Amino acid sequence: MTVDRKQLETDIVQLVQARGARYTEVTLRTDLLESGLLDSLLLMDLIFHIEEVYGIRFDSNHVNPSNFRTIMDIVSFVLDQAPVSQRHPE
Amino acid sequence: MKWPLAKRAIPDRQIPLYNRFYLHAAAASQVDPIMVWGTEIDADALQAFLRERNRNGRILITVAHALIRAAALALEQFPEMNVRLVGRRIYAFRDVNIRMAFFHHRNGEMDLLLISHANSKSLEQIGLEIWQRLLQAGRGEGDRDRDLARLRWFSGFWFRQVLRLYGFLDRHMPLPSLGRLDATRASCVTVNDLSFRGAPPMRIYKPTRFPDRADSLNLTLGPVESKVVARSNQFVSINVMPLFLRADHRLADAQLVGRFLAAVRDLLSHPERLDSHADESTAQARFSESPAKPTAASA
Repeated sequence: MTVDRKQLETDIVQLVQARGARYTEVTLRTDLLESGLLDSLLLMDLIFHIEEVYGIRFDSNHVNPSNFRTIMDIVSFVLDQAPVSQRHPE
Repeated sequence: MKWPLAKRAIPDRQIPLYNRFYLHAAAASQVDPIMVWGTEIDADALQAFLRERNRNGRILITVAHALIRAAALALEQFPEMNVRLVGRRIYAFRDVNIRMAFFHHRNGEMDLLLISHANSKSLEQIGLEIWQRLLQAGRGEGDRDRDLARLRWFSGFWFRQVLRLYGFLDRHMPLPSLGRLDATRASCVTVNDLSFRGAPPMRIYKPTRFPDRADSLNLTLGPVESKVVARSNQFVSINVMPLFLRADHRLADAQLVGRFLAAVRDLLSHPERLDSHADESTAQARFSESPAKPTAASA
């Protein structure tokens, strides 16, 4: 499937916001690490959702702070990993 | 096949007298040797440390990784706690291994993993190993996941028979670890990180004991809470996390348990100490044949 940035951003924001009351204010730029919102349960949900829907495979080395600091970072990482043929033209 | 325990049991004369009362009490006397000690740690310090590490680090580090490292360093400091019961004899573990409960994403249930030689691994190494296992579990790709899937085929009747037989042998003989399913027996401590978002405040927690009975100790960390305390004649708000330790009086008395818990608490409240001697230690310990020598604790 083609990975579209806007669609990906909306998808991930919705997934995070659905976690509960504390997450409803999360935006693309919320620092998930500084705010302490990213725990291992959310991280695994994010990873396996992305793997399943967008066909990206995560390696343990990819579980680094720079890829998961904000939703924007997650989206950028997914787009970087997506094969060129799957990227939607900007 | 691995032998997690030292070849010889700790001689009776090295075991504190009051521990021996519990150890040799008749089953009919219904003695309860389990004690639970709750305390709290300075969560501000731990959170600040993790934030700092995650600003520049290459692997995402969480509270669970810090808890594993703290438990390992405390066990290294108190080798007399790194033991298990076999029958009425006490054996030392050969290595400082830590068992952790985690949420198995694919199966939607809890599973256990083992971090071996956790005292000689850095936080990053521990983190990398855990993420690797969590990813593997989520995909159901690991050898352990295949073994767990096979185990589900056992009917309740046969599951019970296998557990009874294996449990009997394991309780009475220092068995080797045969495969991936029983490899997690190689640790005297299970750590639980229950500090996840949305967890209710924890006032009291009594950790269970896993049926393999390898883990005489359980360390559980609860969610962050704000609390007002008096410091320098002023009321200030601080963040704390509850920390619970379950221990067994047959293996350690309350004084030793308290010192061990204080060591874990100190490491988590001053997390910069978690980085100490990860590198310098223990290629030695890793390849050493001789187990840590337990010493008798005062009764």
